[in-house]
Amino acid sequence: MDGDANVQSFDLINNNTVQSGDTVLIKLPNGETRSVKVDRDSTISLGRIGSFYADELLDKPHGLTYEITGKTLKVLPPRTLQEVEDTDATNELINDGELVQPLTLSEIEALKRSGTHASDIIRTQIEKHTNYSLKNEYSKEKYKQRKEAKYSKTFTVVEPTLFNVCEYWYNKDQNRIRDLRADTLSQLLNMANVRPGGRYIAVDDASGLVVSGILERLGGEGRLITICDVDCPPAYPAMVQMNFKKEQVSSVLTSLNWATAQEDYVPIGASLESTSGVIRSERQRIRLDKRRVVSDALTSAREELFAGEFDGLIIASIYDPFPVVEMLSPYLGGSASIVVQSPYAQPLTDLQAKMRTSPHFLGPSITESWLRRYQVLPGRTHPTMNTTGSGGFLLHAIKV
Amino acid sequence: MWSTDREVAAGDVVIIWQTRDIIQPLLITPGKDLNSRFGHYRHADLIGVPYGSKVGSSNGKGFIHVLRPTPELWTMALPHRTQILYLADIAFITSWLNIRRGSRVIEAGTGSGSFSHSVVRTIGSAGHLWSYEFHEVRAEKAREEFNRHGMADIVTLTHRNVCKDGFTVTDTVDSVFLDLPAPWDAVEHAKKALRKDCTTRICCFSPCMEQVLRTVTALNDAGFTDITMYETLLKPHDVHQIPVPISLSDIVDKLKKSEFKREEKRLRQIANSSKRKRDSSVDKDDGSKKAKTDDDTSNTAEIGPAAVPVTIQSITETTPVPSQPAKVNLSKPMQEVRGHTSYLTFARLLPISFSPQMPDLDENMVKSDTASSS
Ligand SMILES: C[S@@+](CC[C@H](N)C(=O)[O-])C[C@H]1O[C@@H](n2cnc3c(N)ncnc32)[C@H](O)[C@@H]1O
Repeated sequence: MDGDANVQSFDLINNNTVQSGDTVLIKLPNGETRSVKVDRDSTISLGRIGSFYADELLDKPHGLTYEITGKTLKVLPPRTLQEVEDTDATNELINDGELVQPLTLSEIEALKRSGTHASDIIRTQIEKHTNYSLKNEYSKEKYKQRKEAKYSKTFTVVEPTLFNVCEYWYNKDQNRIRDLRADTLSQLLNMANVRPGGRYIAVDDASGLVVSGILERLGGEGRLITICDVDCPPAYPAMVQMNFKKEQVSSVLTSLNWATAQEDYVPIGASLESTSGVIRSERQRIRLDKRRVVSDALTSAREELFAGEFDGLIIASIYDPFPVVEMLSPYLGGSASIVVQSPYAQPLTDLQAKMRTSPHFLGPSITESWLRRYQVLPGRTHPTMNTTGSGGFLLHAIKV
Repeated sequence: MWSTDREVAAGDVVIIWQTRDIIQPLLITPGKDLNSRFGHYRHADLIGVPYGSKVGSSNGKGFIHVLRPTPELWTMALPHRTQILYLADIAFITSWLNIRRGSRVIEAGTGSGSFSHSVVRTIGSAGHLWSYEFHEVRAEKAREEFNRHGMADIVTLTHRNVCKDGFTVTDTVDSVFLDLPAPWDAVEHAKKALRKDCTTRICCFSPCMEQVLRTVTALNDAGFTDITMYETLLKPHDVHQIPVPISLSDIVDKLKKSEFKREEKRLRQIANSSKRKRDSSVDKDDGSKKAKTDDDTSNTAEIGPAAVPVTIQSITETTPVPSQPAKVNLSKPMQEVRGHTSYLTFARLLPISFSPQMPDLDENMVKSDTASSS
């Protein structure tokens, strides 16, 4: 296979293990996910769960589940599904609210202090639970799970895949990512035909989730110019959890803002030449050099944008989409894809109506994504309760 | 993959877009013609045309758009040899399986290659796809397609029954995708093919819940974890331009006016009929037509056929309307959704060197083994 050399260099930029400086997603027993920075020689605290030495995570693959014992970590074996054996017990004799708390709070605290393992606390509780044997097996299972979520000192390092990072942000702050759900994000990337080596223009007011998706798909090969509404390169906070290696970003990503992306833009302010024509000090020279680097980067990004022939335009913007499309689509090559995301149907509806009267856009169409997740356990397969409402809307069209 | 040149060249595969529902692939072969409902085109005339161009037919019957293929267009245009996967499922599977540049992926069966094209685009030349198909003719067709589309370096296509004979690689791939009737028979083989130094993933695509349950048991028995299942759909929306509804106060005014007119009419009718009674008592033998006075004529006009136009007139009167009424754009989900839905079952396989074996793990396996065989 001739791709072998490539695959190796690829592994250099996409690590499968946790490295010092990475930001990892940690899933707690109660289902909550936290974003935690892992620095060598530091201690990570997970509140009630406990704290541990960060070094314990370094060079370990993502996806493992650990138990905190002291300040060290023990890898737990993967959990397989448990069959629930049906017994004759039903919930017939259980009355709501009558569940007697089998251990008092102070008793539990005492057990915890004495270092009793979570599973033993739970066992003790079950033994003392007067009604436990009356419960049907499903309820027993649920009871055990609830208690486990409460007392266990375990956590899982979630792999920083685009899917997981998107889910993390969606649960944390849906508004900040314009309701961009993982399924919609994946559709957006496919509709825009994002591939290694491709050249794209993007507008990302979704905290950098769209940019993260494109950068990951490019894998350090290709081009991404983003247009933003701040005067320095935007932060794109969602990129933090992706743990991109520097090269994967710097070789690919450049940003312009709405002003510098105008063809008639002229930078104001002092010219790069020293006013007197003489450089007076070393400090002044360094300052001028720095400004020249910035200015050269700006000039070349502008030239690149205006030279056009980009492969795709991806917009997840707070601004009226039609002027954005009108301004940026001339820089697309023929047959390039345009994808516009919105949490609302209305802006895309108006956009579609405008685009279909233009000879430059072929087949503008709107889709809404729908997703349902199921719990699959032997004998207990059902849709999950917290299925989200809408994944947002996408408009796709082809530049012609 | 496909040509990245600006212009169409001989030997390129292009996508011919006639309407949203008529999208077809075309291998540009000088000397050949394309005949369709939208006219007549010589392949030779398409050479040198920039991708994305609108081209008129030589017989003036219509026009087509000549597009650069993408996996998404290919899915809409490809010759169906089997059921195929569509955008929503493909995108979701790609994302959950974390397929990206450089990934090594297995798929079975190849079928019509809809999923294959998308994966090859996403993994690029740094990645690799191993694709398996046990139907010989389909395997051959797919192989020809992969060659024609410049994917041969990235895809290894093998004609074999993966449920019986397994895959051709071990400890190699990052993810496995199974779209075949009995995925549970391929799960152990899939486990062998997956690399063991990091977390890897599997997806099984099945239309029936019964298949899902069998798959889940097989995955569990093989030591896969975090088993979960999804259904995903794309709901297309249609945009309609409809006139802005007139305001409620206009309607209230209109209703009031017409009520007022009706009342007027009623009173006039009453007045008329009592007049007629009087008249008829005067010239009883003449018949109504002869008896009509000027007064009568104008009245019949108002009471009779004119009654309807009055209301219509009042609408146009009260709406301060320009000749073109204002329109508003509204969208609603389309009636029909293309593509067939299936259940997507996912699971992870954790790296073995990092997962200590626990005695009760084996116990579990035995337990579910008996459960699945009973
Ligand atoms: C529904 S199609 C796959 C469609 C494909 N995912 C696509 O998007 O075009 C299923 C294919 O699996 C093949 N197949 C079924 N069982 C198989 C087996 N045991 N080994 C290899 N191929 C198999 C069938 O011949 C068929 O072509």
